[in-house]
Amino acid sequence: MKKIFAAFFGVLLMYLISPMAAQAQQCNLSLKGQVLNADTGLPMAYVGIVIKETQQGVESDEHGHYQLANLCPGEYTLVCSHIGCDHAEQKLSLHSNSELDISLRENAVTLQNVVVSGTVGKRASTQTASELSGTELDAGKGLGLGEILKRLSGVSSLNTGATISKPIIQGMHSNRILIFNNGVRLEGQQWGSEHAPEVDPFNSERITVVKGAGSVRYGSDALGGIILMEPKPMRHNPGIGGELHLQSFTNGRSGIASGMLEGKLAKLPLGVRVQGTLKRAGNLQTPNYYLNNTGAAESNFSWSGKYQPENWVLETFYSYFYNQLGILSDSHIGNLTDLNNAIERGRPLQDGSFSYHLGRPLQRVLHETFRVKLSHALSENDKLTFQASRQFNRRQEYDAHRRYNVLPQNLDAPNIQFEITTWAAELNWDHRLGRNWQGALGSTAQKQINTVDRGALIPGFDNLDAGMYWTERHFKLGNPWEFEFGARYDIRRLHIGEQGTTIIDQNRDFKNWSATLGLLYTLNENLKLRFNTGSAWRSPLVNELFSSGVHHGSASYEQGNPDLQPERGFNNSLTLEGAHTQKWSFALTAYLNLVNNYIYLQPRAAPELTIRGAFPAFDYQQADARIMGLDWTGDLELYKNLHLESKISLINGWNQELHDFLIYMPPFRFDQGLKLNFNAQKHPDHPSFVRLGVLAVMRQQQAPATDYASPPPGYVRVDAEFFHTFEWGKQHLELGISVFNLFNTSYREYLNRFRYFTAEPGRNLGFRLKVPFNFSPK
Amino acid sequence: MKRISFKWSTLAILGLAVFGCEKDKNGGPDNEQELITTVALKFVGGGQTLTFTAEDKDGDGGKAPIIQPIALKANTDYSLSVAFSDASKTPAIDITTEVKTESNDHLVCFENTGAMNAPLQQDKDAAGKTLGLESTLKTGAIGTGTLKVTLKHMPSKSSANACATGETDAEATFNVTVQ
Repeated sequence: MKKIFAAFFGVLLMYLISPMAAQAQQCNLSLKGQVLNADTGLPMAYVGIVIKETQQGVESDEHGHYQLANLCPGEYTLVCSHIGCDHAEQKLSLHSNSELDISLRENAVTLQNVVVSGTVGKRASTQTASELSGTELDAGKGLGLGEILKRLSGVSSLNTGATISKPIIQGMHSNRILIFNNGVRLEGQQWGSEHAPEVDPFNSERITVVKGAGSVRYGSDALGGIILMEPKPMRHNPGIGGELHLQSFTNGRSGIASGMLEGKLAKLPLGVRVQGTLKRAGNLQTPNYYLNNTGAAESNFSWSGKYQPENWVLETFYSYFYNQLGILSDSHIGNLTDLNNAIERGRPLQDGSFSYHLGRPLQRVLHETFRVKLSHALSENDKLTFQASRQFNRRQEYDAHRRYNVLPQNLDAPNIQFEITTWAAELNWDHRLGRNWQGALGSTAQKQINTVDRGALIPGFDNLDAGMYWTERHFKLGNPWEFEFGARYDIRRLHIGEQGTTIIDQNRDFKNWSATLGLLYTLNENLKLRFNTGSAWRSPLVNELFSSGVHHGSASYEQGNPDLQPERGFNNSLTLEGAHTQKWSFALTAYLNLVNNYIYLQPRAAPELTIRGAFPAFDYQQADARIMGLDWTGDLELYKNLHLESKISLINGWNQELHDFLIYMPPFRFDQGLKLNFNAQKHPDHPSFVRLGVLAVMRQQQAPATDYASPPPGYVRVDAEFFHTFEWGKQHLELGISVFNLFNTSYREYLNRFRYFTAEPGRNLGFRLKVPFNFSPK
Repeated sequence: MKRISFKWSTLAILGLAVFGCEKDKNGGPDNEQELITTVALKFVGGGQTLTFTAEDKDGDGGKAPIIQPIALKANTDYSLSVAFSDASKTPAIDITTEVKTESNDHLVCFENTGAMNAPLQQDKDAAGKTLGLESTLKTGAIGTGTLKVTLKHMPSKSSANACATGETDAEATFNVTVQ
């Protein structure tokens, strides 16, 4: 075993070239170069290069380039921190500005290691993507996925009250976004705007958002984008390790504990991990009143195992997610009159008080995922992967009061219950053709059964999907152009069963293609230009086709349209990216997305009359739509360790047939922050920092006239954060303190569906502690 | 070979552990929908008993509710009883009893226009606050108007305008002729 390790962690120094003008004994030397695969000559992305003596570190970019600055002349040990090279070391003598290309030799074993670290597959570099990991991700884990992703430019969230939050990517949400949790496409009840994603963020170490039609590899229906949630790679050193997260927030007086424990055997290539999260929160508070019944309780659990004999990897993963969410009592309304009364009040009837009690209205959501993945390395460059998964989702909604005349045994039964079970299989061949082509060819199949146990809002249905995809990427060393293309073909059969007591028993067949093209042009060492264009489609979903009934949270009557056709999107985006070591970095994206047959809810002229009174009625309709915008994110070093961070998003959604704006488009956001790093020498991975952020959100001027109430005024909110990494004895600790809404400003958010009823939560002080631990046999 | 057998047996055990879980066994939707389909107003006075209903048997959507017009005598004292039922089932299910049982959580509200006079709620809930299932009414001169009857759930009865709070469980607007 040891021999294999020694061999495959070998680092070859290829060449040491061009010693530039000799420097005096000043610490202003730089070391740069590229990390390459010794066998193929292709660059290796995201390889960490750390100087052992000074702890200065840097990660290679997508093209393998790295740069270390402010070095003193001297003898150093260069450590590679990539999972594939496992802290391989190389001595280096530095006396002038130098270029050093590092070649990593992969063999079959390392190849596996490298490959499985990305659970879904490698991200193609031509795509416009942004990711959250490390401290930024840890800080938001206790707040849920929708809230975390707001830290990225161009991502906002659609909220239902303060407890339900789902991500919006470039103006699209719900079923126009795909979420992959540990390689499995999340199949829950995502069709409702008050249905939050059923995932535990504590299970993820890195979350990547691919904006736009993205890669065909993940599915055809991602018109808005893809969210990839990846767990921490399984440890590859024998021993036991893990981490513990403790978090608490004052608003809602919440407490969260999440722990992960993993072990790897020394004699067998077998590793296991268990992870769990417990969360309890009570009523939230706005600056002026409490929000009754806005608590939450969550308990999640997962385990995974990895068995890795030579050239094979077998991985299993199981997760259990159970969430109970209270919904603001005052938001639950009977009809149009109630809604008007509530809007007129503009705030809850009572001031409320603090309580952990979870009463009605209530949502209970359970989600289970089980996955088995088997990979076999055919050669260094070719790998076959087979994955099978099963997901089960149960969603229970409890209305403000139970139904009349219930049987005694049904007193606590939900008013609506949906259950969906999904089986999926995927076969993928990752390959390399010649020296410059790399790609994947694969097929997917999925079977889904959805039953509605109570209520008749949507019918029960089952789905059968099959798809094939092919994607290739071309890269040539020294050539500034890089491109990628992909194509995909999918078929879907949707069978609709019974709705309430009405038997529909109809089939809908859909089949179509999707394609993407990505180009990357490297202008110089600091600037890159990306262009992506693609076309994707999405078949209408069962709620869009057959919805019929009153949606309580929104006091609206929704009527499906059985004749809807699939949506076809054409996405185009252009990104200019720049980076100059620690000095500055930025990304500016302009995008234009055209969606033919965009499905939306159109208000009906006359309200629907029921025995509960009148409800505003909406019909599902289609029209050609256009969504375009700008995303900006930048970072500038103002002075030494003081950085200015800037994020701006601008978006416009237009219905080209009605000549009106699209609803729920994020208003103009202008987010600026000052961040002071310290202690970076000691902890280059997680430097300590203090940050002060100012968020300005304008009033949404581009809203359709057909809303219950006009968009709320703009607001300015100040947030602050402190993060410190330190040692307590031998134990490494990470401590974070955050203040959300520092000045306790009262404001409303256009993208919150409860803005009619209540202001947003007030000041929230958060504390978090992360305790990583590791016991390796010496 | 030994390794492979280990691998597959692991897989089999894991599979059993997870796929073996029993889920909801009640097999398919029950689709019971206990809702109010019928609001019935019983007027007793002037030597007559008159009943008028607002009914929507097929629930939300589909056919609109059928609301019978109310005809009352002028200058007459009436007692008014409101009843709720679910007529989508056979036999129809009475819901008024349940409203009475949970009287603290319910309130019957009236809104009148035109020649229709306001009914005066007579009954009290368990806590001594207005309930509204029983009321009295004195009609005035000849004319036309409307009467809106609303059943509120979880209203804030101590609120100044209690009828603007809570969730509406039933609501019907009757046309009224006083003759």
